[in-house]
Amino acid sequence: MSTATAVGSADRAGEIVRFTRRSARRYNRARTSLPDLFVDVYVSVLALGCAVALAVSFVLALRGEFAQRSTTDSGLIADPVLVLPSQALEVLLTFAALTAVVVLGRRLGPLAVGGPESTWWLSLPVDRRPMVWGPFLRRTVLAGVGAAVAYTPVSILSALERTPPTHAFAAATFGLAVAATLGVAALLQQRPGAVGLKVTAAVLVVGGALAVVLVPSVWTASAGLVLAVALLAFVSPRAGFIPGAELTRAGAVSGHVGSSLYFMDSNELLRAVRAESRTAHRRGARFFARRTSRPFTALLRADVVAFLRLHPTPTTAVLWLMACVAVMLVDGGLPVFVQLGAVVIAGCAVASGFGAVARKAALVPELDGLVPVGPALVRASRSFMPAVAMALWMMVLCGVLVLLGAAGPMLILLAALSGVGMGAGSVRGATRPATDWSAPPVETPFGPVPRAQLASLLRGVDVTVLSLMPVALTLYLGVVALPVLVVQGVISAVVFLVVAMTNPHGNS
Amino acid sequence: MTSRGTVLEAERLVVGYAGAPVCGEISVAVGAGEILGVVGFNGAGKSTAARTLAGRQLPISGDVKVHGLLANPDAVAFRREVSAVFDEDLFFPSLTVREHLLLVARGHSLPDPEAQVEEELSFFGLQERADVVPESLSSGQRRRTLLAAGLMRPASLLILDEPEQRLDPVMREALGRRIRLLAAGGTAVVLVTHDPQLLLDTATSCLVIDDEVTVTAPDAAAAIIAGA
Repeated sequence: MSTATAVGSADRAGEIVRFTRRSARRYNRARTSLPDLFVDVYVSVLALGCAVALAVSFVLALRGEFAQRSTTDSGLIADPVLVLPSQALEVLLTFAALTAVVVLGRRLGPLAVGGPESTWWLSLPVDRRPMVWGPFLRRTVLAGVGAAVAYTPVSILSALERTPPTHAFAAATFGLAVAATLGVAALLQQRPGAVGLKVTAAVLVVGGALAVVLVPSVWTASAGLVLAVALLAFVSPRAGFIPGAELTRAGAVSGHVGSSLYFMDSNELLRAVRAESRTAHRRGARFFARRTSRPFTALLRADVVAFLRLHPTPTTAVLWLMACVAVMLVDGGLPVFVQLGAVVIAGCAVASGFGAVARKAALVPELDGLVPVGPALVRASRSFMPAVAMALWMMVLCGVLVLLGAAGPMLILLAALSGVGMGAGSVRGATRPATDWSAPPVETPFGPVPRAQLASLLRGVDVTVLSLMPVALTLYLGVVALPVLVVQGVISAVVFLVVAMTNPHGNS
Repeated sequence: MTSRGTVLEAERLVVGYAGAPVCGEISVAVGAGEILGVVGFNGAGKSTAARTLAGRQLPISGDVKVHGLLANPDAVAFRREVSAVFDEDLFFPSLTVREHLLLVARGHSLPDPEAQVEEELSFFGLQERADVVPESLSSGQRRRTLLAAGLMRPASLLILDEPEQRLDPVMREALGRRIRLLAAGGTAVVLVTHDPQLLLDTATSCLVIDDEVTVTAPDAAAAIIAGA
């Protein structure tokens, strides 16, 4: 027996993969009738057509809106002290997208095997390359094509002066940059600690973002193609050497993410993506160890420590904050509704991230029963740290906006109050029960509406957005009105109380 | 020290999770044709030890060696030598029982895989269910399928984690006979079990897993299980 990870027979592995696929296809064909297949294809084509038509009309409408922005709109900050070149925002967003591809690609593999494959394939004494390479290549090509398609409207909206071929080159360069970054992610899977690979990924992400936005042309697209093909060719012979445990882990995360997307369950999605993410294991140990005589204090202390450990760095919140500010400062001024939309989206995203403790605790509800504290107090304790964190985030964001001249200093107080409601909203979202997809839609004058599902999907987002509305209104008006401050206080207090008093499962 | 014929060897092996040991240090050697029974109370760390011996989990400290070389499930030679059956209920949803077994037979280049599969189906009483997908099987039948896959392939080391679970008494007895037969052919076997009879019928020596790990005779180990 050799200690080296010998390659084994690739032919036999290929035969195993083909045998499995052939058998699966035969079984699936036997269970699918031609009319069923026709209906599936018909519905898919129809849905795709509708989605494309909606997207195209939306993009064209936005394009018209953007074309007029310089003459009719000046954004939320009338005369900012700092102005970013209009392409800076696009570079930042493209950079963020490519970074997300590397990070998510690494979480999901990108080379992976599912549960059955890990049991029945990986234990065989054969070369694993044919088992993982095909699916990886398919996924990479699909991701590249999908990225190119998704980038097309971004290019159309962000650079109105570009010609259609330039839009096509920008989209193609982006798609190829995504494929190349997945190639680097695959190499990182084999050698997770390799500094050279991490530097390569960073260079690729920065270079890709700059090339896509600043100099999209046939040359950048060609360079992207060469780079992507070269990286994939480099990965190909190494695909069989990725440890089985890593392939299995990636497959488990991918499966979890896939099922979360299928059921549109954002909590499960965040649980899947954050699985095995970095935690500060020892943070707050002394604070937690302090003696306490009251159960609520003990619970609150546990929630504080859990929050600090599950959020080792504020990176994501800071990135969202920077994106928000960049949207406000872009040269020419984006339309007001786009800027307000960016604040709302960023607020919801950051708040959702701060619900990690509640999301984890929801998996083991028995733990809360161990402390002699009422369920309302448990939920209040769980909302405490997200509320503090969101209040801080909103204060920093609005502090920057005040400095830039968006409104008066009272905006910071308004933001702090808003953060309390948003933090509570994150807990409401994190503890929402799974959506019941079997509930029948409700008939309305506009046709059947899946009300139960919509209510479930929007649970948490509803109060988060509601808590943000007074801030959005103030940013729009540019003046902090005292009644708005009072309304904000009432909204946040009510939201906090509603979250604390409402049992997410409605059975107590 | 590795003696001639030693297949599996563990020296001062500490197993557990996140750096926390679940049981005492394990030092053991299993030679060709020997059957090592592994017993202990629930949560003592038997399955963790078995997973570590099978190379599926990294030890906290110490080494596992198979044929004198470090256990590494990413090495093709290790996968060729070691067969392990754990309680993993993972099957391809659209492959039949027969196809699952054929996959293993072909993957291990067995001569005449179809005939070998028929033999296993017959031994495990799965002939009538051979052409259905695992979803249609009872949990006991799925267990038989996993055992068939683990036992049909050639291996110099066989690790079985509570193979008797979900099997009826007749099948348990047949399994015992099969394990003895494999050992007689030179296979080293590690058998984690809660069944005193299976232990008495098969084991040549036993490992009692607890805060302290001890090697004992099968009858003493069977008495421990029966007492538990």
